[in-house]
Amino acid sequence: MDVTLILQMIVAAALGATIYTIIGIAPGTDETAVLAPVTLVLVLTGFHPVVILSFFIASIVAKKLTDSIPVAVAGIPGGVMAAPMVEHAMILKRHGVPDLSIRKMASGSVIGTLVAVPVSLILAKALVPLADVITQYASPIFFAGAVFLALMCKNRWLALATIVPFALLIQGLRHLYWGVGSIPEGTTVFISFFLGITIGPVILTLFELLNKEKREKLNRFGIKEIKLYKTKIEKGMPNPFKILDKKEIGTSSFAALLGSMTFFMSPVGMTIFLGETLSSRIKDPIKKASRAISSMDGLTNAAYISGTLIPLIALGVPLSPMAIGPANALFNAPPVLTLENNLHHLLSTSDFVWATLIGSIIALLLTFYVTIKYSQQICEFVFKRVPHEAMLGLFFGLVLMLAFMDAGWINIAGVLLVGLVAGVLHRWGINYGVQFMVLYSAPWIVSQIVGG
Amino acid sequence: MMAELGTNTNQPKIETKEQNVEVWEDLVSIRDLVLSLIICSVTTLGGYLVAPAEPPKPLIFGLLGALLGFIVCSFIIKPKRAFNYEDREE
Repeated sequence: MDVTLILQMIVAAALGATIYTIIGIAPGTDETAVLAPVTLVLVLTGFHPVVILSFFIASIVAKKLTDSIPVAVAGIPGGVMAAPMVEHAMILKRHGVPDLSIRKMASGSVIGTLVAVPVSLILAKALVPLADVITQYASPIFFAGAVFLALMCKNRWLALATIVPFALLIQGLRHLYWGVGSIPEGTTVFISFFLGITIGPVILTLFELLNKEKREKLNRFGIKEIKLYKTKIEKGMPNPFKILDKKEIGTSSFAALLGSMTFFMSPVGMTIFLGETLSSRIKDPIKKASRAISSMDGLTNAAYISGTLIPLIALGVPLSPMAIGPANALFNAPPVLTLENNLHHLLSTSDFVWATLIGSIIALLLTFYVTIKYSQQICEFVFKRVPHEAMLGLFFGLVLMLAFMDAGWINIAGVLLVGLVAGVLHRWGINYGVQFMVLYSAPWIVSQIVGG
Repeated sequence: MMAELGTNTNQPKIETKEQNVEVWEDLVSIRDLVLSLIICSVTTLGGYLVAPAEPPKPLIFGLLGALLGFIVCSFIIKPKRAFNYEDREE
């Protein structure tokens, strides 16, 4: 690895950490929706895979460190993953120690990262022998994954019933594009359908705003009132091992270890379950809440890193909620990366180690320091300066561009259609996991129906 | 469009204020949202289309266009949030 490449990795990691420190704080940002489009564009632009991986790792570490800041400072989650922590952060706030939550959460994140990186590398090595079998049966495995995730949904029969129709919609559009000649036969539109699913809920809402009756019935609000809690500015360089006591370090590490080992499960579910279990026997409310949030943050961080790294290093097939969602571009971004030729095939183990180390260390140094010192100022800046409209516009614009790139003007309508259907499915409680699995297995599902 | 939205609420007192809707867990004004979607779409797709047709230039121009649109919108649109400081409960 030469010096220019390492420099590029460092710059990419610093950029990722900075961008996602800000995005992490903005409320309502879904991990997949904010990480996937940007990573996709970088992959398609042709940056070296190592540079992209260090960008991605830095981004998830920074996003994870900061999406719990608004929980502590204002009691609103900065992302889906931070939602389980609100209750505990509120307890600390009520006891007048909101800055304690930030310090404990950020330190838990650091522990999570430190545990997850080596554990993922080891686990990935152990899983390598399975890779051949899994890649051979990738399509049926994705289908089984869709069925399994559908059964885990609240409305399981509804979820199951939508699998085949949704696969037909995807394959139908692809065959239409081939038929009218907007793309050569055999070229598969993937990226833009993926993004259509991701911003489906937003697309559905936008369509509903055009519906007069719907629009008039919508709940109207004034301005969102946010209460900020004043925090003290720390002096000197914060040290996560001093901020957490020995027991908290113990439980965060344990939670991170479990989070890494259950990389194929839903991180939100594991966070709620483990965070509550690990803190349930503590009586003192402040200690209990500190223990819960530090271990929850440790776990989610670990689940993110291992959910990305393990399938990437061991399998080359996105078989974890993290891999099939936010990290998807590292597995499949045709024409640059495909399931047969992605980071798994292109990078050596030492590449993975270096990219992960550079990405996570830079993000931790930059973001951890900033998080602890200036959390209140950053929150104030984001709340005051970054309108939600601009965030929505940014991602909508990126999706439009990638749709056009994939198959021309016709595909903009195609992506809107996919988004509309995906938005309805999402509102019915059929999660992204099911829909992404169907997207992957759609060609196989259709060939099975026609063939059988 | 604003006038039409304003007539929705029965309480004249807050007539001019209660016009924001919730999209993706935060509040937006429909007018500003439409404006932002148009600005960002034009800058992003525009960047992609005017770029020299040799990859990866269109994507880089498009990405810069997206960032430009984001920055422009951040300046012309006011976030629908208000915050005040709560004193520490010592």
